[in-house]
Amino acid sequence: MNPAATLPAVLAIAWLLPLAAFAVVWIGYSLPQLAGRRPGATAQRFAGWLATSAIGSSFALSMFALVVWLAYHPLGGDEHGGHGAPPSYSGDYYLLAQFGELRLSIGYYIDALTVAMFAMVTLISTCVHVYSMGYMDEELHEVADHEVATSDGNYLHRPGRYHRFYQYLSLFSFSMLGIVLAGNLAMVFVFWELVGICSYFLIGFYYERPSASTAANKAFIVNRIGDFGMLIGLMALWTSLGTLQFGDTQLTARTSAGHVKMVVPIEQGIFSKLRSEDQHYHLDASAMVRSAETDESAHPGYWLLFVAGLGIFSGCVGKSAQFPLHTWLPDAMAGPTPVSALVHSATMVAAGVYLVGRCYPIFVPEALLVVAVVGAVTLALGASIAITAFDIKHVLAYSTISQLGYMMLALGLGGWVAGLFHLVTHAFFKSLLFLCSGSVIHAVHSNDLRHMGGLRHKMPWTAYTMLAGCLAIIGAGVPIWGIGFSGYFSKDAVIEQAWSFAGANPSPTYQLLLYVPIAGAFATACYMFRLWYMTFVGEPGHPHRFENAHESPPSMVGPLVVLAVFAIGVGWHTPFMSDLSVTSILEQARPAGTQATTSGTLLTELTLPDEHLSHEPEIADPASQSAFFAALLGVLLATMIYVWRWLHADEIRQSFAPIYKLLSNAWWFNELYQWTFVRPTLALSRLFASIDRWVIDPLVNGLARLFAYAAKLLDRVVDRGVVDSSFDALAHGTWDVGLALRRLQTGRLRQYMVFLVVGTLGLFAIASLCWKYALAG
Amino acid sequence: MNLDSSIVYLSLLIFLPAVSAVAIALFAPKDSDDPVKQATLAVTVVTFLLSVGMLLGWPGIEFSAGEAAMQHLCSVEWIPSFNIHYLLGIDGISMPLVVLTTFITMLAMGASWNIQKHVKAYCVLFLLLETGMIGVFLALDFFLFYVLWEVMLLPMYFLIGVWGGPRREYAAIKFFLYTLFGSVLMLVALLILYFSSDVRALDAKTLANVGIADDRVEAITSADTPQHTFNILALQQLGQTTEQFKGDLAGKTYEWWAFVLLFIGFIIKVPSVPLHTWLPDAHVEAPTPISMILAGILLKMGGYGIIRICYPICPEAGYDLAFVVCTLGVVSMVYGAFAALAQTDFKRLVAYSSVSHMGYVVLGFGVWSTLNVDYWKLGMNGAMYQMIAHGISSAGMFFMVGVLYDRVHHRDLNQFGGVFSRMPVYSGLAVGIFFAGLGLPGLCGFIGEFFVVLSAWNYSMVLAIISAAVVILTAAYILWTLQRVYLGASYNGPHEEALTPITSREFRIAAPLLALAVFFGVYPRAILDYMEPSVSRTADDLAPLAASFGIDGASPTEKVADMPRGDRKLAISNTPSPALRP
Repeated sequence: MNPAATLPAVLAIAWLLPLAAFAVVWIGYSLPQLAGRRPGATAQRFAGWLATSAIGSSFALSMFALVVWLAYHPLGGDEHGGHGAPPSYSGDYYLLAQFGELRLSIGYYIDALTVAMFAMVTLISTCVHVYSMGYMDEELHEVADHEVATSDGNYLHRPGRYHRFYQYLSLFSFSMLGIVLAGNLAMVFVFWELVGICSYFLIGFYYERPSASTAANKAFIVNRIGDFGMLIGLMALWTSLGTLQFGDTQLTARTSAGHVKMVVPIEQGIFSKLRSEDQHYHLDASAMVRSAETDESAHPGYWLLFVAGLGIFSGCVGKSAQFPLHTWLPDAMAGPTPVSALVHSATMVAAGVYLVGRCYPIFVPEALLVVAVVGAVTLALGASIAITAFDIKHVLAYSTISQLGYMMLALGLGGWVAGLFHLVTHAFFKSLLFLCSGSVIHAVHSNDLRHMGGLRHKMPWTAYTMLAGCLAIIGAGVPIWGIGFSGYFSKDAVIEQAWSFAGANPSPTYQLLLYVPIAGAFATACYMFRLWYMTFVGEPGHPHRFENAHESPPSMVGPLVVLAVFAIGVGWHTPFMSDLSVTSILEQARPAGTQATTSGTLLTELTLPDEHLSHEPEIADPASQSAFFAALLGVLLATMIYVWRWLHADEIRQSFAPIYKLLSNAWWFNELYQWTFVRPTLALSRLFASIDRWVIDPLVNGLARLFAYAAKLLDRVVDRGVVDSSFDALAHGTWDVGLALRRLQTGRLRQYMVFLVVGTLGLFAIASLCWKYALAG
Repeated sequence: MNLDSSIVYLSLLIFLPAVSAVAIALFAPKDSDDPVKQATLAVTVVTFLLSVGMLLGWPGIEFSAGEAAMQHLCSVEWIPSFNIHYLLGIDGISMPLVVLTTFITMLAMGASWNIQKHVKAYCVLFLLLETGMIGVFLALDFFLFYVLWEVMLLPMYFLIGVWGGPRREYAAIKFFLYTLFGSVLMLVALLILYFSSDVRALDAKTLANVGIADDRVEAITSADTPQHTFNILALQQLGQTTEQFKGDLAGKTYEWWAFVLLFIGFIIKVPSVPLHTWLPDAHVEAPTPISMILAGILLKMGGYGIIRICYPICPEAGYDLAFVVCTLGVVSMVYGAFAALAQTDFKRLVAYSSVSHMGYVVLGFGVWSTLNVDYWKLGMNGAMYQMIAHGISSAGMFFMVGVLYDRVHHRDLNQFGGVFSRMPVYSGLAVGIFFAGLGLPGLCGFIGEFFVVLSAWNYSMVLAIISAAVVILTAAYILWTLQRVYLGASYNGPHEEALTPITSREFRIAAPLLALAVFFGVYPRAILDYMEPSVSRTADDLAPLAASFGIDGASPTEKVADMPRGDRKLAISNTPSPALRP
């Protein structure tokens, strides 16, 4: 078996299967509606099975690809000495367009990260598909939407949309896998937008609710703001390097009839153009300028590369809901909960982090510093708001924002593996947490934490799998023994890197990048256990809802258990195969030249330490312990308030009223944006529209009137009868347009127009005749 | 009649609708509305098949993909005393536009079934319009081009003015005035070029290549007096290889004036801000099928004129004014998008979105690059692709608006809502087509926009950034529209009971548009394989010229090509351009 041929084929099938499911459901379930038939419950359920088996097969194929990968690329082997290019396969599926040397194609770039992400995405997606069979059950029949009232005062009754849900979910899986598989940045952009539109559909699934459709619009438009930046990054790279391909691609000869193109056997990708082997994989910014002489700045191309990095990062800011574009994610919780688990926590929003990881070789240290700072701000912002939220999904949404901030921070500080490792572990525990919250919502029909309480007796499976998720997200573990939940390993890796960075950069401002994640660990523990206690411990907040609560069906509990197992264990080294772990797989994909300690060129003080240094005991031990104690304190605080009730939440709220107000209003970002961006844009749009109406049109109308007067003059001079009658005869004789003409008798303007045409043509004829004879004579 | 012959086939393609129109006018009995409609539809279908037949390879007249040169060039003397020829030909630039024309016309005829007033006259004018449109794309004699351009104008005027909405007369006259103004400018430019041209400067081989018959070649080369020409291909050669259009007129070259006049004429059609205000009115008042044709095809003639006539005949002026062209493109994109955001009339909104989308076309054509011509090729091809894509998506959008209007007889965006629940299949199609307009990847609108935006950075970073920002506005106005019309629970306007599901006739019009939008979005080479060689050759021909303009010192862009990129843009932006200020 040749992995260079097998892997692209296998992953392509895994990628396209959900698309096939989407197409079948879309077309197959729409055409009968033409005849006025809506699909029945059985048919809809079949759509669910179809989509689930498609993504299930994708998962199987992804696992197969993972096995193949591991078989051909033994882990832990220092085959590229930690400094060479990681093993990867890149190539094209098909060519989109070629202009001279410029090529755009649909292709693949497969390395250990791709394979790992495929396995992770398809696994979680499969779990969510299965879970949704239970959760979306009510959509099989007519649904009464209690959030929408019709004009006659009743709740809205509408047909179920079970199959639509699976249709969108399939399209989403396809798009998400497309991002992961993409062989070039243009293709990333394509699927980047496609996951955006899937997210739009899924957030707006309950499109009768104004809140849902508004949230869907907001999500897409805010993402487009990020994409605008991403386009700038793409343009800068494309124009400077002439390619958007990640890896080097073997080209096949393409000759078109007429002119034979010069065939380039290998197209260099951006990675090898920017970090060539000759330069020992050091970032070479001068590759960004076509000839270094024209750029007389001290660092040719460096600014351009900085801009390119920032541009791509701004796309990631939008997608990963980082500050300042984070406001769409909490609103996105208007979608069904399984969607929140899959799209808005585990996979799509993590795509931003993935892309920073994928494009890591492009980022100059200064750009990475921006990534880190944005990550740190987001981390703090998200955690602070999560503490005060009462909607269970909002708590988790802000928690997601905060955790994504952790990943960005890690990547920005040089912790490539740490950031992506946290991506993987977070995907499992956060999807678990969301699915658990969905299970709770399914049981009590409310999102409000104050309506819950004591539910662990009613729904133990949900309660304890969710506890596992909570322990994973706060990074519970025993530092001395070195065991713990998955989050323990990944969060420690992040904080270790921050510690290492703080050690390498003594400047006090940089120390903040260490304090923020540690404080974040405290806040995370605090709000997660607040959530768990308020849901499952204490007195029922709403006795009626409590009475009717019940454990969810097996189709929902099953995925919870699977995800809980992964949330606990995904950070571990596999027993008996000590080399096999997520970190060692990721380590294998580390981009060439990004491991070594690097310093900034513009900010010469800035040093990004080698990630391996952070595992040294003198850094790892204190970092790990401080994270542990921060989390412990957070849990204790939550326990004191919500279990032991030594402190009262209401009193704390009152004594910190201004801060509480700030946090519970999410720092007033929505209002701020409304006043600074949305309203001015609308005002501007009205201004432009009125320029048309009040400036250009009057000008044109005035001109027209002028013409009319001129024509009237002409009319008096020229014998009206002759021309009129001849024209009328023409009109009558040829078409019965004359009929139409007579009905149009509102003035003679039309005829003057005809005069003008005929006149100019005649003028032309006379002029040319004169000219000709003048010349000839 | 032998269909293998190019001239017969191309003439048939052009004049079949006109001949049928005459036949209908003469022979169709009164009160036979339905048969007349069916006959008209049949004619449009046959015309479409004829145009597609070239792609599929009708023996003798197949259109070969990958060929850059003009194919099936055929010429007949028409008015010999002025060297006017009936000269036709087709290449990768015109082929996709011809197929688009016949395709959209066919669908538009299908959409005309609701027309009840003066059906016979409507069909006659409709077919004449088709002749004019196909003819414009196939004509290679400037005079013929001009005549067909005018032929197209009159039916359009009547179709809007008679079958339009309440303010149809105002809209029709506005349309007519604007386009007539453009035509007059074009005519002046035509005369300037004609009288300053002299084909004796071309060698025999070139003359043969531009479609001049062998017996004429000898007469030309041995003539004593200047041999003027209307042959567009010959004019291109003269503009690119000789100094004939460099004569001085009021401080500028003939070429410069011709370019400016032609360009204004063409951007009225595109339309580009500030010459766009005829478009919203014309669209709002025109009946649905006419809106489809107007947006789907007529606007493309402006772009076609720029790439076929403006640039190749007047390359130096085009290079001088590239910054003006690009700026106009970007201004249209931004202006159209903002204006669309403010509209409350559904059709007006779609009309302004056309202004915005066609701005990409102008920008794509304008991004001259001399150092690396590949980026200009990218821009030009992107612009051409955008024309085709916009032809599909905007025709679809107007049709979708028309479907709603037919039912509820209003277009106020604030009085819709809940359409998705009432007309699910229609709404699914509509959302798909609107997303094609939004430029969503996987649909046709994306490819053109993406190519153009990618190519723009090489020309000017500022314009590139502004053009990239338009994606935000586009998303905003399209999504907001979708929300107001399709989403939500309740319908807020009159005639709720009329919101019946889409009929199969409507479905058969909308579904092919969406299917093509998806296909062209996923596999752009379906068009590019035919189009790219010709478009790229235009860039290949013109770009080296730009480098030479500085050398003989005649050009204000002296030595610009040798400057580094940043300075070059500065230099171009500093060239005076008073004539383009309206």
